[in-house]
Amino acid sequence: MKILLKSAIVVTSMAVLVVPPIREAAAQSGNNRPASPASRPSFSVGKQASLPEHAKFAPEQIKDGSALFTQNCAFCHGKDAGGGESGPDLTRSKLVSADKNGEGIGQVIRHGRMEKGMPSFGSLSDNDVVALVAFVHAQQDAAMSQTGTRKGVEESDLQTGNAQAGKQYFQGTGGCASCHSPTGDLAGVATRYTGLKLLEQMLYPKEVKAKVKVTTRSGQTFNGVLEYRDEFTIGLRDSSGLYRSWPTAAIKFDIDDPVEKHVDIMSRYTDDDMHNVLAYLQTMK
Amino acid sequence: MHRYKSLASISLAMLFSALVPGAAVAQQVDANMLLHPPADSWPIYHGDYSGRRNTALVEINQRNVSGMTLAWTFQAQSSQTIKSSPILVDGILYFTLPDNIYAIDARSGHQLWHYTAPPNHAFHIGQRGVSILKDKIYYMSTDAHALCLDAKTGKVLWDVVVGDSNAGNWSTMPPLIVNNHVVVGISGDFDNLQGFIRSLDPETGATQWTWYATLPVGTPKMTTGGNVWMMGTYDPEQNLMFWGTGNPTPVLNGKPRPGDNLYTCSIVALNPETGKLAWAFQPSPHDTHDWDAVETPVLADVDFKGVKHKVLMQASRNGYFFVVDRTTGKALITEPFGPVNWTLGVDKDGRPIPNPAKEPAPDGRLIAPDEGGMTNYRAPSFDPKTGLFIVSASPSYSVYFAKPADGTYGWAGADYGVWNKGVLEAIDYRTGKIRWEHDLGRRAGSGVLTTASGLTFSGDGEGNFLGLETATGRTLWHAGTGANIASSPISYQLDGHQVILMSSGSVLYAFRLPEQIGVATKKPRGMK
Repeated sequence: MKILLKSAIVVTSMAVLVVPPIREAAAQSGNNRPASPASRPSFSVGKQASLPEHAKFAPEQIKDGSALFTQNCAFCHGKDAGGGESGPDLTRSKLVSADKNGEGIGQVIRHGRMEKGMPSFGSLSDNDVVALVAFVHAQQDAAMSQTGTRKGVEESDLQTGNAQAGKQYFQGTGGCASCHSPTGDLAGVATRYTGLKLLEQMLYPKEVKAKVKVTTRSGQTFNGVLEYRDEFTIGLRDSSGLYRSWPTAAIKFDIDDPVEKHVDIMSRYTDDDMHNVLAYLQTMK
Repeated sequence: MHRYKSLASISLAMLFSALVPGAAVAQQVDANMLLHPPADSWPIYHGDYSGRRNTALVEINQRNVSGMTLAWTFQAQSSQTIKSSPILVDGILYFTLPDNIYAIDARSGHQLWHYTAPPNHAFHIGQRGVSILKDKIYYMSTDAHALCLDAKTGKVLWDVVVGDSNAGNWSTMPPLIVNNHVVVGISGDFDNLQGFIRSLDPETGATQWTWYATLPVGTPKMTTGGNVWMMGTYDPEQNLMFWGTGNPTPVLNGKPRPGDNLYTCSIVALNPETGKLAWAFQPSPHDTHDWDAVETPVLADVDFKGVKHKVLMQASRNGYFFVVDRTTGKALITEPFGPVNWTLGVDKDGRPIPNPAKEPAPDGRLIAPDEGGMTNYRAPSFDPKTGLFIVSASPSYSVYFAKPADGTYGWAGADYGVWNKGVLEAIDYRTGKIRWEHDLGRRAGSGVLTTASGLTFSGDGEGNFLGLETATGRTLWHAGTGANIASSPISYQLDGHQVILMSSGSVLYAFRLPEQIGVATKKPRGMK
């Protein structure tokens, strides 16, 4: 919430929205609490979850946010925040669903998520960030209140595979079983991840870090998690949490990155293989 | 500043300015100068009309490049990233950020003027620079206007609307100036819009001609799109310009637009006087993956299987490297330069045949390369000495989705990148095969510059500037910058010394060899 302090928006329930005009009430930052779910329409359509608890914003803020979104965000996230070039569909984002008053979205806008390709927009004013939050909330609310089939990737769209064929691929051709076990590391994976997220994790688990063993010229060895690597520098974090780095030219290093096998398999997957393995993973609740 | 009128005296003036550092003689930027840019200029986005980005300068070479050092930086102090190639005329660099043009002294980085556009709400995804003719700067605004400014002051002389930003157009490219034509294109594939190339009068901005890539919006079963958003190239002997066009719309849903979707994802040869199409070659027929064919159409006159050929080379976003005979538009080589899995092969004309089973689908299709493509806006370079076409490539995979609920307008689907990496590739133009690869870590945003002294400059995915040996890809020099590199390096000679100019984040970096000790120890006049 810190980041929004300067321009804290008043949060009201829908029931009392008509009473304090938002702009005048904006100074009453003490009244900054999330809307009560009971006072909002709690319907959900089809398989959609109940509507998230979002703060209430003034229409002007949403309008400003829409313009700012077009300018800064729409290229990647789409004009309607439903996904565009490279950026995810924000109307399906768990971070957006969990965001009540900009505390989550604001952080991402301000600081970016460099590892995921999201740049930081640190130069935006607090008012701009609030407006963007207002717009993204509004777009998510609108998308989730939609009747009929929603655009974007639904979990129900990803049910075309054959779990039995996927199991055979997993244990045979795919070679998945050489690293993974349905009762070991993958137990409950379909509970931890669902839908598109599960598919993305299956294809390439981005969060998994490689291990590295560094041997110095004097013969000393260091083991740890690979924290940084470019052509000139290797950095690791050892088991005590200590970060060390070396010029690559001065040492020998050996990187153990089992996730690379996921890249190899991408060149061999047919689309059926991919959907079958997903169906098999979906049995691992 | 004194301005010479006749051509003869201009050449004389150039000779003098090359010999006498800081000689106060203006470079006359006319059609002839743009055809033969002097060493102390970089007057066009790619340095010259060929798109080769191969400088004839040789002061910085394989033996001394490791000693290259920082001369100055320019801090734009913006959260936006420089994607612009600066141009250089009369010792002044002109470059851009979205909504901003800067004119700075190329000797010191000292700012001369700074133009800021009025606030607008078009996409601010990037700005690739400005162009110059005579004493005027030409700029495409984020909201798809063309502007003409006084190069001395940055004062706006005219401003014409090229596209409607409210309808979904925006712009990023510098105009291509050929003779008396300021040739522009605009972006806009989030909406179903008609792509085009337009020629404007340099004095007034009046439209001279417009070439449309696609039919008017609403033509049944016909595609829209084909926006032109990257700099073209020009061959004065043929008097033809070469441009790449963008993807069709709706982007990921190909069903409403059956067929090849000409002239989207195409390389087109146009007459600059009339805008008339001479030929077209389509790298991506019926594209459903957003693979614009706007990457630089690089021109060279080379030996090909024992015969001299005028060729055009493109490393295309769809993963294929093409060598095309630019007198006929026929492909000589079609070779992938990384993993591609979306084709059924190559047709008799050298065009990849898209596999219908790899069109985006409701349950997803695994596609290589990803939507960002095997390469993109970052410029490649061709080194005639080694015959190497050097491109910053990105082997990658993504999953593409489209279903009826996604509709038939704009994006009309969804795609999610799953993995990518960056690698600098040296492709032998004679075979299309990769001669060497240089790992760049993550996907990198830097373009490439080669030098006649055998050097290649680019950047990696972690923000390191790199200086490599062109023949082998071996690293000879590097400098970490700590920010994203998203422009293409340029080079020029100033006061008799070669400069390598690169950018990272919102900072320009000018590198050169260390000053001679004799010069450095000489006391400035007036000092004891």
